[in-house]
Amino acid sequence: MDTQTREDLLKLFQSKLNQAMRLYLETCSRCGTCTEACHVYASTGQVKHIAAYRHEIVRRIYKKYFKGQGKLASALGEPKELTELALEELYEAAYSCTGCRRCMVYCPHGIDTQMLMSIAKLLLVGANEEPEILSMLADSSIEKGKSLDLFKEGFLTAIKNLESQVVEKWQVEAGQNPIPMDQEGADLLYVALAGAHSIIPAAAIFNAAGENWTLSFFEAVNFGAFVGDPSRTKLILDRIINEAVRLKVKEVCICECGTAFRVMKQLSGKQPFKVSSITEVHARYLREGRIRLDKEKFKDPVTYHDPCQIARNAGVIDEPRYILQNLTHDFREMTDDVRYNWCCGGGGGLVALGEDTLDFRMKSAKVKVDQVQKTGAKILATACENCHTQLSNLNDHYQMGMNVQFLSSMIAEALVQ
Amino acid sequence: MQTITYLILVPMVYLAYLIFVLGIISRMVKIWRAPVQPTTLQIFPEKKPKWLWALHDSFLLPTVRKHNPVLWFFLMIFHIALLLLIIGHLELFKGFTFFQFWEHEIFLGKGFVGLTMIIALLYLLFRRFASPTRQISIPEDYYLLILIFLTVLFGSQMDWARRWYGYAELSPSDYQTYLTSLLFFRPELPSAVYQTGHSFMLVLHVFFANLFIMFFPFSKIMHSFFSIPMNRLRRG
Ligand code: HEM
Ligand code: SF4
Ligand code: SF4
Repeated sequence: MDTQTREDLLKLFQSKLNQAMRLYLETCSRCGTCTEACHVYASTGQVKHIAAYRHEIVRRIYKKYFKGQGKLASALGEPKELTELALEELYEAAYSCTGCRRCMVYCPHGIDTQMLMSIAKLLLVGANEEPEILSMLADSSIEKGKSLDLFKEGFLTAIKNLESQVVEKWQVEAGQNPIPMDQEGADLLYVALAGAHSIIPAAAIFNAAGENWTLSFFEAVNFGAFVGDPSRTKLILDRIINEAVRLKVKEVCICECGTAFRVMKQLSGKQPFKVSSITEVHARYLREGRIRLDKEKFKDPVTYHDPCQIARNAGVIDEPRYILQNLTHDFREMTDDVRYNWCCGGGGGLVALGEDTLDFRMKSAKVKVDQVQKTGAKILATACENCHTQLSNLNDHYQMGMNVQFLSSMIAEALVQ
Repeated sequence: MQTITYLILVPMVYLAYLIFVLGIISRMVKIWRAPVQPTTLQIFPEKKPKWLWALHDSFLLPTVRKHNPVLWFFLMIFHIALLLLIIGHLELFKGFTFFQFWEHEIFLGKGFVGLTMIIALLYLLFRRFASPTRQISIPEDYYLLILIFLTVLFGSQMDWARRWYGYAELSPSDYQTYLTSLLFFRPELPSAVYQTGHSFMLVLHVFFANLFIMFFPFSKIMHSFFSIPMNRLRRG
C-alpha cells in the first residue's frame, strides 16, 4: 500500500473518532466476557469470531497511528501497520459480524462492536475493497433519489398492478385508492421494500384501519449502512426525509426492515415527523380497536424472532408480543430476556450478499436453529426482511420444517372484515 | 545502594505521580475534546432511572456475574480489596483520619486483604494462559497483572511480617513520617525505613508501585474512569 493511500485511509479512520468511539477503542480490558456472546463463535468455536478479537484488529491499527503507545512502547499492545493484509483481516472481521450488538449486552463496559466494525467497513470503502454488490446497490438507491422522474411512471404502473391483490385482502369503498401515492397532507408515509410482499399486506391493513396514508416512492433498505459508508447512508436516508417533508406527513412508518428502521429512528437525529416501525403501527391499530384479528386463523404454535436492529437496538419489544397475543392461542418465547435473543445470522449486509455468504451464514447460525427448535413452534414469525430471508435459508438448510412468516402478512391474513 | 534506595523512595515517587496526573488529564481531555456521538447507542429494553442502572452496571458487573461467575467472584474481591488497600494507603498520611470514625488499626483486614488480592491476581493471570482468553490477550494484559502482583506481594510482606510474625522494627508510624514528608515536599527518610532488615521490601514495593502508577494512565486500567460513561451510553 502506498503512502498516499494509507494517509487517505487514516483520514477516514480519524473521521470516525468521536467520544464514544475513542472510549470503545481505549477501554476493552480483554476480559473475555463477550466470548460466548457472538453467535458466530458460539456456532463455530473459532476464536477469530470473538467480539474482542474482532475489534482488537481495529484497535491495533488505532494504537499504531493515533496513540503514543504505538511509537514509544510497541511491545505492550502489538500495534499493527495498515497494510493490504491488515485490510484483508479487517474484511474478515467486519463481514463476519452482523452488527447485532449481542456482545454489547455481555460486555461489562458496554463496548459496541458494531460501531468499531464500522471503522473497518469505512476503511474498506476507502480502499475500494468493500463488497461490490453492496456498493452497487447503495449507488443505485442514491441514483434513484436523484432522478425520481425517470422511474416514476414505471413505478406507478407496477403499483397499479398490485391493487387488485390488496382489495382481495381488504375491500375498500368505491372510489377509494387502495394504494395511495404522492398524497400531500397524508398522515402517514409508508416506506416499503421493492417487493409485493412488503406492500400488499401492509396496504390492506392500512385500509382496514382507515389510515390516511401514502406509499413512498423509495424503498426503505439502506445499503449505505450495510457497506458502512456514512455519506451514502445519509444520501439514501435523505430521499425519504425529503419526500416526507414535501408531503407534510406526521408520521413515517418503516416496513419490516431492521436496518432501515434503526437508521431512521436512531441514527439520523431529530426529524420533523414521528418515526414508527410497522409493527408499532399495527399494535396501535389493535389497541385502538381499528383492526380486529381472527385468533383461530393460525392453529399451529407460533414463535417470534426479534430482529436485532428492531428489538435490542431500537426497543420495539412489547408491540410484536401484543400483536401475537391477539393472533394466536399458542405463542412461545425463544428467550426470557429479549436482549439475549440470538441474531439470525443474516444482518450487516450478509443476506444482501446472497450466495456468496450462504455457506457462512448457515454455519454461523447453528445456535439460532437450536434456539428456534427448542420452542417446538411450527410457525416462525419475524418482522425484518433480512431475518426472514436468512431464517428461510436456515429452514431449508437444516430441514427445520417450519413455516417462516412475516408478522405483517399474518396480520393481513387474519383481518376480520 | 543508598543512592538507589533514595532515588526510588523520593524522586521516582514524585516523577510517578507527575506522570500519573498529567497522563490521566491528557487522556481525558483528548477524549472529551472529540466530537460527541450524535445519536443514541442504547440497548433495550430500558430501565429507569438510567444513570442509576449505569452505576449498577459499572460497580456490580452484573453481566460478568451472569456469564462468567467465577471471573466475577475474583474480579469483585480484587476490586474490593483494592479499595480497602487504597484506604489503608491514604491513612499513611498523618492527619488523614476520616475512616477512623470506625476505629481500626491501619490497613484493614489484618493482612488478609493483601492475601485475597494476591489470590485474585493469580487467578486473573492464570486464566489468561488458557484458551480462548489467551488468544484475545495482548502483552499489556500480562505486564499489568504481573506488575500489580509484585507490588501487592511486597506490600503484603511488610504487613504480614508486622502482624503475623511479630516483626516490629518497621511500623506504620515510620511510613507516616516518610509519606507525610513527601506530601509537604520536605522528604525525610527515617532510618527505620531504609536501614532495617525489611527495608528492601519497602523499596521493592515502592519501586513496582511507581512503575504501575506511571503505566496506569496509558493502560486499560483507565477503565476505572471510562467504564461509567460507557455504561451510560449503553443505558441511553
Ligand atoms: C469505577 C471503577 C472501576 C470499575 C467500574 C472497574 C471495572 C472492571 C471490570 C469490568 C473489569 C473486568 C475486565 C477485566 O477482567 O479486565 C476490571 C478488571 C480489572 N480492573 Fe477494574 N474497575 C474499576 C477500578 C479499577 C482500578 C482503580 C484499578 C486499579 C488498579 C483496577 C484494576 C483492574 C485490573 C488489574 C483488572 C483485571 C484485569 C485483567 O483481568 O487482566 N480497576 N475492572
Ligand atoms: S467483554 Fe468487553 S471489555 Fe471484555 S473483552 Fe469483550 S469487549 Fe473487551
Ligand atoms: S455484533 Fe453480533 S455478530 Fe458482531 S461480534 Fe457482536 S455478537 Fe458477534
